[in-house]
Amino acid sequence: MWIYEKRLEYPVKISKPNAQLAKVIITQYGGPDGELGASLRYLSQRYSMPYPELKAILTDIGTEELAHLEMIGAIVHQLTKDLTMDEIKKGGFDAYFVDHTTGVYPSAANGTPYNAFSMAVKGDVITDIHEDMAAEQKARTTYDNILRFTDDPDVKDAIRFLREREVVHYQRFGEGLRIATDKLDSKNFYAFNPEFDRNCKNK
Amino acid sequence: MNERERLLKRIAAIDFAMIELHLYMDSHPNDKEAAAKTDEYAVKSRALRKEFEDKYGPLTSMQMEANRWAWISDPWPWDNEEEG
Repeated sequence: MWIYEKRLEYPVKISKPNAQLAKVIITQYGGPDGELGASLRYLSQRYSMPYPELKAILTDIGTEELAHLEMIGAIVHQLTKDLTMDEIKKGGFDAYFVDHTTGVYPSAANGTPYNAFSMAVKGDVITDIHEDMAAEQKARTTYDNILRFTDDPDVKDAIRFLREREVVHYQRFGEGLRIATDKLDSKNFYAFNPEFDRNCKNK
Repeated sequence: MNERERLLKRIAAIDFAMIELHLYMDSHPNDKEAAAKTDEYAVKSRALRKEFEDKYGPLTSMQMEANRWAWISDPWPWDNEEEG
């Protein structure tokens, strides 16, 4: 279960609305490398994961991603609050606005709604942890790309925090992969899938 | 930044250190130094949380003795408060 905490993991306080920026940042809410997909990926992969360290890593990172989803929601909300119709048109926010007004909806920057095809649960330790490491790097690239669009210190501060977390999570998944391969057949890591071939465990 | 935000920021800083150490210990469960640091931060976190909750209301929904009105009151985490 989860318990809600009435605060953000890292404070978000944006003083200047910016429709154009909101339009690209929404992709980290519901886009292909966004925080919703990240959370769903890790929290779903955990069930068939055989090793305790990896169950913990997936649970804890999956939980932190929910806090990041909330931060992105707060950023988009604060960037779109009090926009004028003129700012909406000039910022290219009209297509989003007509469907969602200034509500926060999980979609990619190009408007595609959140799609679970952007994540995988393969049920194989090596495959899933590689997916997770790639996912952290893809999110890191997306944050780097978002940073190219803005000089607003309020936005940059929060985005930089989120970017840094991707790097740390990548590191933890890398250690998790090492923990997993240490338990497998060192001559052939792919000899069996420890998430399915339960009777073939090497150790 | 008002007094409430300042206190919340201190809680976020201490608790972030705890989140980071906790995650680190998932892959390094025998690291005694990290465990000791976590205990140290936990003491600070508890004190700051108590101070915040006494002044501004509950931080989590599990506080039985909480001020119910304060829980539903603004600001919520995504609200951008006015300076004051």
